[in-house]
Amino acid sequence: MKRCLVYLDEKELKDSIDLLGAVRQVYAGEAYETTGVTIGYMIEPVRGAFDKVIQVMHPDLKPFDPMAVTEVLVELQNSHGFDSILVPATPFGRMIAPRLAMRLKTGLVADVTAISRNGNELKVIRPAYSGRIMAGIQYIGDGPVMMSIRQGVFHADNPVEKTTLTETFTPSFVRDGKIQRLAVKQKEQIYDIRESDVLVSGGGGVIGNFHQLEQLAQKLGGQVSASRKIVDQGLAPRSIQVGQSGKNVSPKLYIALGINGAIQHVEGLKQVENIISVNINRDAPICSLSDIVVEGDAVAFIEKLVTRLDQEKFELSSKSVGSKN
Amino acid sequence: MKLICLVKFVPDVDSFNYDYENSVLIREKVRLLLNPDDACAVAFALKVKATRPETSVEVVTMAPATVTPYMEDLLRIGVDRGTIIADRLFAGSDTFATATVLARYLSDQNYDAILTGTHAIDGDTSHIPAQLGACLDLNQMSGIVRIDEQRFSLASAVVDVETEDEVATYEMALPAILSLTRDSKYKLPYASRKDLARDVSDQLNLMTNRELAFEIDEVGLNGSKTKVVQTYTKEFDQKSRIVVQADDEGADFVCKFLKEKGFI
Repeated sequence: MKRCLVYLDEKELKDSIDLLGAVRQVYAGEAYETTGVTIGYMIEPVRGAFDKVIQVMHPDLKPFDPMAVTEVLVELQNSHGFDSILVPATPFGRMIAPRLAMRLKTGLVADVTAISRNGNELKVIRPAYSGRIMAGIQYIGDGPVMMSIRQGVFHADNPVEKTTLTETFTPSFVRDGKIQRLAVKQKEQIYDIRESDVLVSGGGGVIGNFHQLEQLAQKLGGQVSASRKIVDQGLAPRSIQVGQSGKNVSPKLYIALGINGAIQHVEGLKQVENIISVNINRDAPICSLSDIVVEGDAVAFIEKLVTRLDQEKFELSSKSVGSKN
Repeated sequence: MKLICLVKFVPDVDSFNYDYENSVLIREKVRLLLNPDDACAVAFALKVKATRPETSVEVVTMAPATVTPYMEDLLRIGVDRGTIIADRLFAGSDTFATATVLARYLSDQNYDAILTGTHAIDGDTSHIPAQLGACLDLNQMSGIVRIDEQRFSLASAVVDVETEDEVATYEMALPAILSLTRDSKYKLPYASRKDLARDVSDQLNLMTNRELAFEIDEVGLNGSKTKVVQTYTKEFDQKSRIVVQADDEGADFVCKFLKEKGFI
């Protein structure tokens, strides 16, 4: 029986549980057992998903200290001997996974998006060069298999409700990473583009007029998102960036304005139902994914479409007024 | 104060080509640039040096010696020493082997802080800073958008780390590894006309395996814990698209489509 440890990031609990979808592929056709580990917090929300949950508790342990948390995981691995360790590619996950791999002298693959298994041969896929190239990677040596998993790619898919055993693990020693958290300021929460049904998205072609997208998004009851180019220019926050270095999105409608559609961008669009792209180049990569390609200047087209939508609304409302009479 | 910046010169992914027939990257003619996050690390170090002249800044990269001109550019804007770690033996190193090589060099150096980027635009594993933390037994923090200059001392640094939903401020004892992101917006200074012509060769330091003395099975592919077995570009399903013009007719067409699909 293979045993897999999943690191559960308190801040991204759902994504962490979704790693069960990745474990399933690591051990396709083989018997395995899953253990989730939480550092310094209660485990109620994950009960039922894992065979076992280990709750690490120690009064001196700061859950934000990468050095301390890594050393606890080293001790846990030394005492439990897991065959694989999966970590969600959250900001904290991506800090502790490499540290842990180095301490365990084992291989680590970052930001995994696909896993394939052929007999005993495990191959994991990750994007490189900002998603322009996919790389298939194999492990060398006999250390535990380690990977960080890209968020939003794997899904737990209604796992069978398990009788989760729980264990409290008290590390014998807590390493002091000499780090203090002085303050935490919550950012003003803007919408989550992963939850939008309609996204109006802008790229290099609307760089001087990005603010105009808002108007179109409003008319369609949707939200604005952006390509990397726009975000790198500081015209939009990184939280609304679509693509490999941003987020994978799944709206019903995606309107791509002046977006070329480099692989790194379209990588984030695999689950979109309808795509309309507006581009001066009808052969831009994004156009081949589109249901409708509008050839021409995106900024001018926004205005035309907004006007047309206003007209539509007016006609509809006058019709409904008419029917009342 | 001695600051060491770890950097990587990366292909400019925006001017990047792929030979689809032979499934290889076309590396020739690809422009290299200083990885944007790493540039912020160097820029911060130079900012400190500008107000505290006793600061010394060393930039370290593990790369073929062909990056020398890029390194010289950094020396001309105020970096005191540039170290290139290059040896054919190191080629093919994964992040585990790379961190091992860098750690051996760094463990012989004196420093008060190591500054790095968080992400690289080519590999983007973000492994090296954290792995080095493990090798050198230093704490490490990624995603730094600001280092408080006033409170940056030999003893500690106060840093802001930005994630999706919050900005957290940490105080970390030094030495530690501080990894910045490009959102920190620290900008490299320009070289003065005088500096552009300056001979900086005596500030360059080339380290090979002669100095680092690794066994052949400790580095390169042999010392790696992972290996790339295939690379490919992604194929996407082509849709049967309809092309219209960005005129009134096009707007009508799109509007009709939106109506049919129930979006308006």
